[in-house]
Amino acid sequence: MSQDKDRALKQAADLEEHPDAPSTTVSRRRFLQGLGFAAGVTAAGVIPALITAAPSAGNESEAAESGSGAPGGEENPLAEIIENDKPVNYPGKPVKYADPAGDQKWAMVIDVKACVGCRKCAYACVKENNIGRTSGFTYIQLLEMEPGEINLETANANYTEGGRADKWYLPVQCMHCAKPTCVYGCPVKATWREPDGIVVIDYDKCIACRNCMITCPYYARHFNWVEPEVPKNEINPKVPLEEKAAVVEKCTFCIQRTRHGQTTACTEACPVGARTFGDLNDPNSDVSIILKTRRAFRLKEELGSEPVIWYVG
Amino acid sequence: MTETTAHKPGVKRFIGIDWDLGALRSASPRFWLWVAFLGTFVVVGVAAWGAFITQGGVVMAQRDGSPWGLWFTNYMYYVGLAAGGLVVYASVHLFGAEQYRPLSRIAVLQAGVFTMLALLGVVSDFEQPIRLLNMVISPNPTAPFVYTGTAAGLYMVLCFVDLWIMLTGTGGEKLAFTMTLIALPAAIYLHTTTAFVLALNKSRELWHSAVMVPIFLTSATASGIAVLFIFAYIFMRVTNVRFKPSMFRSLATLLATVIIIDLFLLSVEVLWTFWPTSAIPGETSRLIEFVAGRYAPFFLPIFVLGFTAFGLLANRKLRHLPAIQITASILYIIAIFLKRYSLMAMGFSLTPLGQPTKIYFPSLVETGIALGILAFGILFVTICVKIMPLEVPKEELEAHHGHGHASLDEAEVAA
Ligand code: SF4
Ligand code: SF4
Repeated sequence: MSQDKDRALKQAADLEEHPDAPSTTVSRRRFLQGLGFAAGVTAAGVIPALITAAPSAGNESEAAESGSGAPGGEENPLAEIIENDKPVNYPGKPVKYADPAGDQKWAMVIDVKACVGCRKCAYACVKENNIGRTSGFTYIQLLEMEPGEINLETANANYTEGGRADKWYLPVQCMHCAKPTCVYGCPVKATWREPDGIVVIDYDKCIACRNCMITCPYYARHFNWVEPEVPKNEINPKVPLEEKAAVVEKCTFCIQRTRHGQTTACTEACPVGARTFGDLNDPNSDVSIILKTRRAFRLKEELGSEPVIWYVG
Repeated sequence: MTETTAHKPGVKRFIGIDWDLGALRSASPRFWLWVAFLGTFVVVGVAAWGAFITQGGVVMAQRDGSPWGLWFTNYMYYVGLAAGGLVVYASVHLFGAEQYRPLSRIAVLQAGVFTMLALLGVVSDFEQPIRLLNMVISPNPTAPFVYTGTAAGLYMVLCFVDLWIMLTGTGGEKLAFTMTLIALPAAIYLHTTTAFVLALNKSRELWHSAVMVPIFLTSATASGIAVLFIFAYIFMRVTNVRFKPSMFRSLATLLATVIIIDLFLLSVEVLWTFWPTSAIPGETSRLIEFVAGRYAPFFLPIFVLGFTAFGLLANRKLRHLPAIQITASILYIIAIFLKRYSLMAMGFSLTPLGQPTKIYFPSLVETGIALGILAFGILFVTICVKIMPLEVPKEELEAHHGHGHASLDEAEVAA
């Protein structure tokens, strides 16, 4: 056990060897405080309106007000989303296992027209994130949908073979909600949303109550009912492993990669390029461009959790 | 406290209460057999908990699909059973329902012990129990769990303090009244926050209902009174205290009333879920599992047991019979357990992504822990009944006129 702890500490030390961060964190926070004044409540369903550049009267005034503060110039239609994208329960210092957050606002867009349901993303994620091979869960789930509807209750998550022409596929994972019900529901603040929008879990603080699994509307969180086991030669040294025993875990937007300029493992693994990952603060990033030019929707938008994973079709 | 007990040999005065330790020495072999029987279950429970702590969550039947299990069912259940005791006790002091005064001490004992069991269940389930301290270090004000947890803790302390005040007579009737003024809102707060753990989740369709709060209150009151009924009858058997039949009759009327409100609220929820103009697929496809699917064997009996219990108690010719009262009480105690289980399962029958989960049925370890906790509670009460002056002394009953006067004649203590 103490051996494990030593390894964990070493891992953590390795992860902390990125000195550029503290200053950016602070400036980021000041930036956010400034934005806080202009913050408005985004109505659910505002995205299609923004994308078709026909915001309703109420949204228009808010967008105009906040547009000045948003990076990327005068009329960034994503300004309101970026503005709502705030840290929640952030303790002021980043999670132990990861580097400090940068200036980015991470987001992902998944093209359901392209997705063939091959689950390559899910498998790549298991490898990248040291998910226990016998733990019985993956961060990413794929739902096989009947044509003509988005009906979760008739979808099938246990299909054996993807790529059926008479179905379509919806990949689901932690949406890194801007209003994360999991974070609101954690009794001990063991999970929070960082300034760059990544919802993280402090494995050393989690009391194993599973309340966040109850409150998450996307079934994105998973508990380690068994010790996570990964074959020695497949362990990713950048991701904690032993610490995940008897706590909850979930997608981290590959925090160990994305904070070093890499993209997520799922985005990299997708053979049809259905996934796009990037920075909303950068108006020229792929995600910003897609969200500005295509019609997108979010899953269970009506709940108002404001996820930062969008779907286009 | 009274003359008779103070002169009995073996009585020790400690923190102002006369503990009748002599009663343990002179207890019958049957008593010790019963204690040993309960003790065995306590040992089993501790062993099961040990297995859980050493081997981890894998020994539980809970999985991602049903992240909470028997401990949570029992949390809701025990918190509810605690309430019934309090309602009866509070009605004596607040509404002058003097006919219940002879029950006041055992009612408060019941409230305190069940809250303790509820909390033990929570602690026994967390794989990181020591980290529960984080709840104190960095509580999250938006998490309902924080409120129900602290409410239960405070409520338990409140009940035991209240019991002490009654047993020692500290502060007299005035303090007892003040305590009720604190305890009753505390009980309502505890139930509301417990219901909120379910109701405040937009992620779980069938839980996300404001009616959850009144349903919790009615179920709690009904099952709590039912348990008090049985407790009172057992109390009469093992002690020399006699309660008046009219007290039981009045309790039966109260129980019947609460049962029917409880069933009414539940029926409204079911109707609301299926009515064509309000039916939402996410809700109907979950509730259908309980009405006609895998969970029907747990859910439908609630109505059968509930209406039977109500029918028995509503019948004027029957409701004064002890056998009827006891039967109805047992039926409803079972009904509420099934209801707690169903309520929990309603959140889990399908995942938030609409996928059916494996039906949850507690594992051996979970059952062992739960039985151990229950046995501990019964053991605790058994000992209390033996050595605590739980019978309300004649002087106190005499001091209260009105209804109290009538009940006095029959509440005779054969010393
Ligand atoms: S998807 Fe679930 S786990 Fe992820 S941030 Fe939203 S509520 Fe939390
Ligand atoms: S399981 Fe852990 S992260 Fe989730 S709510 Fe409980 S303490 Fe917080």
